[in-house]
Amino acid sequence: MANRPQIRTAASALIAMIADEYASSVSRTMQQPYMFDHLLMQVHCWDTVVGFLLAGVGNVDLRRKTNYLIVDSKTTIKQIEDAFKEFTSREDIAIVLISQYVANRIRFLVDSHNKPIPAILEIPSKDHPYDPAQDSVLSRVKNLVSVESVASDRR
Amino acid sequence: MMEDQEEKGNAENGIGRQKQVKDEYLLQFLDSLDGYLTLLDSLSSTLSQGWLELASARHAMGASRINGALLDLKVHAAATSLKVSEQDVDSMESQPCFTLCKWASSDNGERSSGEEKSLSPQLRHRNNSQLSEEKVSTRTGTPLILVDQQRQKSLSVFGVLVSPKLRSAQLSFERALETLVEIANLHTTMLSMFEQVHKELENTNG
Repeated sequence: MANRPQIRTAASALIAMIADEYASSVSRTMQQPYMFDHLLMQVHCWDTVVGFLLAGVGNVDLRRKTNYLIVDSKTTIKQIEDAFKEFTSREDIAIVLISQYVANRIRFLVDSHNKPIPAILEIPSKDHPYDPAQDSVLSRVKNLVSVESVASDRR
Repeated sequence: MMEDQEEKGNAENGIGRQKQVKDEYLLQFLDSLDGYLTLLDSLSSTLSQGWLELASARHAMGASRINGALLDLKVHAAATSLKVSEQDVDSMESQPCFTLCKWASSDNGERSSGEEKSLSPQLRHRNNSQLSEEKVSTRTGTPLILVDQQRQKSLSVFGVLVSPKLRSAQLSFERALETLVEIANLHTTMLSMFEQVHKELENTNG
């Protein structure tokens, strides 16, 4: 019991979000002959953040800092990295939701996060469905299995 | 001779028990991995539904009434939060356990009971989320009216009269949140089992 790693418990913790925004210029140039297509063309990926804000996860603190970041075409890799580092170092955040598409842009940083809290969950976005092969945790498992099978073959 | 046979029997039993433990860890790991992938698939469907409902609401209400400029940047606390507790895996390890607290806080600092859902990874026994939501509210004695007030407050960012599709989108994203908390719990279980299996493999090879 003496050497058990400490788990940071909390009575009330936040969910942070980093989601990508669909480029609005694309929706203006595509043809929209049917009603259904029109509805789909107007869906922007920041809808993910808006949807979760509707579900009540939005938080703005006294310094006017939010617990979400909407990534658009003007957002730099550095800004995404800074937001990720900030959310993962905050004591009041327990889960970080990040679009897999955005996670791929800062893959090294996401893969190097190995603390249990906050839990980093890669989620699909409207234009980029979830791909298990790119998930940080699943690729780590896959690497272990392939390393072990190579090592056992050599033995 | 008898003593040798007894020692051999004990050694075999010991090896058998070790193998049983390794198999158990492996099975738990594979179960959690299967659950993780299944829940992610479910999440994708729920999010797709939510996006479509949001798009329908935008179509009904107009793009000017549902856009990023309306996001509430006034100081406010999250109405839906998480409770993080410690769960013992064994005597040497523990892992975090996430519990979703929906609509549990308000801006004036008073905390209402809200809806508390401990979403342990019991995939095969999930109830319909709306039905279970009502049951939780009844079980904890939380007035549904308080929950409805919080929901309405969240919707009020987009005006007083909102499309029913926006309300549906809100419920879809609430369901997505519940799924995400289940995924988070499975995620920590999976990582914990993965470490155990990795350790056992290293011990076997070493």
